[in-house]
Amino acid sequence: MSELPPTTSIRRWLVTTNHKDIGILYLITALFFLLFGGVLALLIRVQLWDPANQVLSGLAYNEAVTAHGLIMVFWFLSPFAFGFANYFVPLQIGADDLAFPRLNALSYWMYLFSGILLAVSFFQGGTLSAGWTMYAPLNVPMYTPSIGSTGAVLALFMFVVGVTASTVNFLTSIHHSRAEGMGIMDMPMFTWSMLATVWMMLFAFAALLAVGLLLASDRVLGSVYFSATEGGSLLWGHLFWFFGHPEVYIVFFPALGVMLELFQTFSGRRLVGRKWVIIAICLISVQSFLVWMHHMFLTTINLEIKTLMMATTIGISLPFDLVVFALIYTLMKGRIQFTTPFLFAFGALLLFILGGITGVFLGAIVLDYEFRGTYWVVAHFHYVMFGGATALFGGAYYWFPKITGKMYDEFLGKLHFVIFFVSFNMVYFSMFLGWETPRRVFEYNPEFQIFHQIGSIGAFVLGFSFFIMFYNFAKSYVSGPEAGENPWDYSRTAEWAVSSPPPLENWPNRPSYASGKLEFVKDYVPDGGPAVKADENGNAATDGGDTHSDHIRDYPYWDKHPSHASIWPFTLSLATGIMLLGLSGFNDSVAFEIGESLGSTAITVSNAAYPMLAVLGLLGLIFSGVKWGLEEFYAPPSEFAERWPFNGVEKVKLGMWFFMASDVILFGAFISAAVFIRYNAGWRTWEPLTESLPGLINTFVLLTSSFTVILALVAAHRNSRKGLLASLGTTILLGLTFLSIKMWEWHHEVFDRGVTLSQNAHGDPIQASIYYVTTGLHGVHVVGGMLIAGFLFYRAYHGAYLDDERPVEYFGLYWHFVDIVWVFLFPLFYLF
Amino acid sequence: MIHPITLQQGTDWQAQAEVFEEIFFVFLALGTLVGIVVVSYTLWNVYKYRDDGSEPDADFDAPVVGELPTGQGGPKAKKLFLSFGLSAIVVISLVVYAYGLLLYVEDGPDTGEEGDIEITVEGYQFGWEFLYPNGHSEMNELVVPADKRIDLTVTSRDVWHNFGSSDLRIKSDAIPGETSETWFSVSSDEVAAQGGEATFRVECFELCGSGHSAMKGQITVIPQDEWDEWYANTEGDSESASVEDADPASDTDTSRVTGAAIGGVGA
Repeated sequence: MSELPPTTSIRRWLVTTNHKDIGILYLITALFFLLFGGVLALLIRVQLWDPANQVLSGLAYNEAVTAHGLIMVFWFLSPFAFGFANYFVPLQIGADDLAFPRLNALSYWMYLFSGILLAVSFFQGGTLSAGWTMYAPLNVPMYTPSIGSTGAVLALFMFVVGVTASTVNFLTSIHHSRAEGMGIMDMPMFTWSMLATVWMMLFAFAALLAVGLLLASDRVLGSVYFSATEGGSLLWGHLFWFFGHPEVYIVFFPALGVMLELFQTFSGRRLVGRKWVIIAICLISVQSFLVWMHHMFLTTINLEIKTLMMATTIGISLPFDLVVFALIYTLMKGRIQFTTPFLFAFGALLLFILGGITGVFLGAIVLDYEFRGTYWVVAHFHYVMFGGATALFGGAYYWFPKITGKMYDEFLGKLHFVIFFVSFNMVYFSMFLGWETPRRVFEYNPEFQIFHQIGSIGAFVLGFSFFIMFYNFAKSYVSGPEAGENPWDYSRTAEWAVSSPPPLENWPNRPSYASGKLEFVKDYVPDGGPAVKADENGNAATDGGDTHSDHIRDYPYWDKHPSHASIWPFTLSLATGIMLLGLSGFNDSVAFEIGESLGSTAITVSNAAYPMLAVLGLLGLIFSGVKWGLEEFYAPPSEFAERWPFNGVEKVKLGMWFFMASDVILFGAFISAAVFIRYNAGWRTWEPLTESLPGLINTFVLLTSSFTVILALVAAHRNSRKGLLASLGTTILLGLTFLSIKMWEWHHEVFDRGVTLSQNAHGDPIQASIYYVTTGLHGVHVVGGMLIAGFLFYRAYHGAYLDDERPVEYFGLYWHFVDIVWVFLFPLFYLF
Repeated sequence: MIHPITLQQGTDWQAQAEVFEEIFFVFLALGTLVGIVVVSYTLWNVYKYRDDGSEPDADFDAPVVGELPTGQGGPKAKKLFLSFGLSAIVVISLVVYAYGLLLYVEDGPDTGEEGDIEITVEGYQFGWEFLYPNGHSEMNELVVPADKRIDLTVTSRDVWHNFGSSDLRIKSDAIPGETSETWFSVSSDEVAAQGGEATFRVECFELCGSGHSAMKGQITVIPQDEWDEWYANTEGDSESASVEDADPASDTDTSRVTGAAIGGVGA
């Protein structure tokens, strides 16, 4: 189904893979979650009206606080920004679409269904109540036993999976599809901010994926990571904040990008010190991974590390200073137009300045000791994160004419801004005044009641102000004046060079900056061959000097029309959602009684619904995955594109490398967790749980299978179908051998030695958890590899891959990676 | 609500509250100053360079759609680095200044010959247990003498809590399986000013479950002689001792033993 139905059809929105459609879906869904999180915020504000007030019970209040934080940070801020990124990054870099359109649709549907899963968790005995930071061990079932708590954790996990796909997609797109002549330093600032954002996301969300998987394992399977007194709580702190601090910039950078665009557009001036702003953004992205322990100054980390973290924290504030001054100086000598988008962007700058200054307070450790866990922190991060989001609302007004083709109402927009800005400061500045109130406490010291009451009034006004925006957008969409191609006087970026809304494939002809400014060139397409770059006179250039066009020759389907529709991202996400919903109640409805052997293990199912949902979801997932793999979907790479610094790398391979980079962090986090816990328990007090011989055999088996994968590639290259089938088959057999030995080993541990996920007859229970979960994650990677290899085998049997062996190569990359991971796991669990 | 708590023992003694107030004041003053200067400078310029509909200056070079940002000879960035340098100096000197006082807060004041008192604080859902060197334990109320340095070793028997008293400006994470430390001291002047018994509010600063909001305690400071008498009566307090023994949380036993072994109170 590659034909895209019209926008009036509901089916269009289920099957679309077009970046603009998906951008719109993201924006609307994110605004819905803004309302959802906003209503929870108002519940909190009602409770805070009076310290004696008990509208909500203690537990319900904690659920509201937790869900408010999770929804705003994960399901509103980033997706709202990614709505704009989806719509405008391809336009700004001169691409037709993102690199992997179906993967992009998958990211969106994963996002939507994860949000639904979170909403459902309220009705599964109450959602998670451990705060959005989910500190251990409050996050384990012993302290938060409801099924909904597990549901919320799995929802977050699913969200992160979608984000990872999105990250790989944006990184590949920006590094692979920039129009000819657009060097990396030439990219518009919004795209630059998004590039820095997705680079940070690639590593930060992999850490969150790791910590989410560990928590899901504790909650669904019964491992004991975060209840372990051998550093389980601190492990959570380290892993969570290793993600959590970059996350602050991940939500702020897109907003910064909007500010950088809007300040230029509405002052008619180009960014001051542009190169330095870009350098500052890159510096912040790197530094963001070196400051996380400033969230843990009051834990038991030692003074030397605290000092180091204080220094890096102050260090990261300096590039921000530079960016703020660059924004201010850009306005000077300009012709500033006080339109609604500019007011929001400018308001965001003012709010961010206040957030930044109060952040310096927190950087001083002595002050942090007292601010820890108080409303000072709450106020500070709302000024930074929600203050940043203020610019995103500016972005909504700025790009509304481009997306809809209609102009919004300027008076209503300005009214929205004024009410928003005043009430924003009522809500959050009052928090600074009553800062000694502990976070997430409603029975607070009555001395501070006046501040909390001002905040509560402000919150309702703030919430109301958004209905002005919704009304404005709805009314303008129906009956607003036509906006035209470019309603702004001083816009520069390419989205303003096409109609509003832009056509499905964005450009009239191929966009190119080769001459130093945007032009649309008509390429010469010979019959039966790839496009050839046109010279100045429109004749085909045959100099062959452009190495990029080699990429297109790799694609046998170059003359086909690009596809824009697929239902499988939707069904795959739906199935994943159903499976995770089933898993959320798995631990509560299925009980295992381990007997003498596997045969005598009794399984008691108290509620069949949950396990059935899990199985149903899994089947749907596999079905959709196979259909996805078999679908003919054509997403061509840009023919003539700037690809620095990945000039020689083909599109899918580049995506594969990005994915594996995030997988490295995932395993890195798992291995770090194992080392951290063992160090805390006393390194030498642990002996390996396992015999080393099976591990050694498995090491040889896996290394050999790496070799046979190379043979498969060679065979495919030589057009030898038999050779390909033989070496792929050997690889599969070796993989199955590995899994069999692994199963024997686990069976031996469980039934002969009494070592299960949560029990260990030979030492600390946590040691058993670490062994099963870490090698289990690797095992899941092996199983995944076997499924892909089986799929390749099936296709190869029917004659595929002989003229295009790249799928075999990509599988090989993945398989080598899985083998290398084992090389790290083997000594950790079998030798020492 | 902010009590400056001065100490008598020596001029070099400063309570954490005093250190905090000093640094907070300096940061607040400078932060407000910088904030007002930057924001008013920005507002003034935004007003000054507004588009009032007049003809643009001759040197106004409007951007056009589709231009590349590089090679356009963008505006000069000299001022940018001047402001950046100034702000860097302010921020770095502030933090270096604050760091000096951190070292003091970390170690606590030198107690000289006066022995300090070591108390183990154990958080639980939802309250605080204070364990004295003699094995006596109190629930939710810590009674200590004036003019002494009180060292707290903080831990938890279930989930992550945070023991803190805003009045005293002390705070410490209570993490299961870990111990963290903080200290405080209240002068007899302060005790006298509050009528012979100074009380300070204790709250939990880390979300710990449904009773988090209500997890309150109190620190009560009384004159040394009254405290000596009170403390002597707690010796061999069988009721609290049995509470002690019945405590199933084994992971905190070590810290208890340590606390009891070290705590040499000069009473």
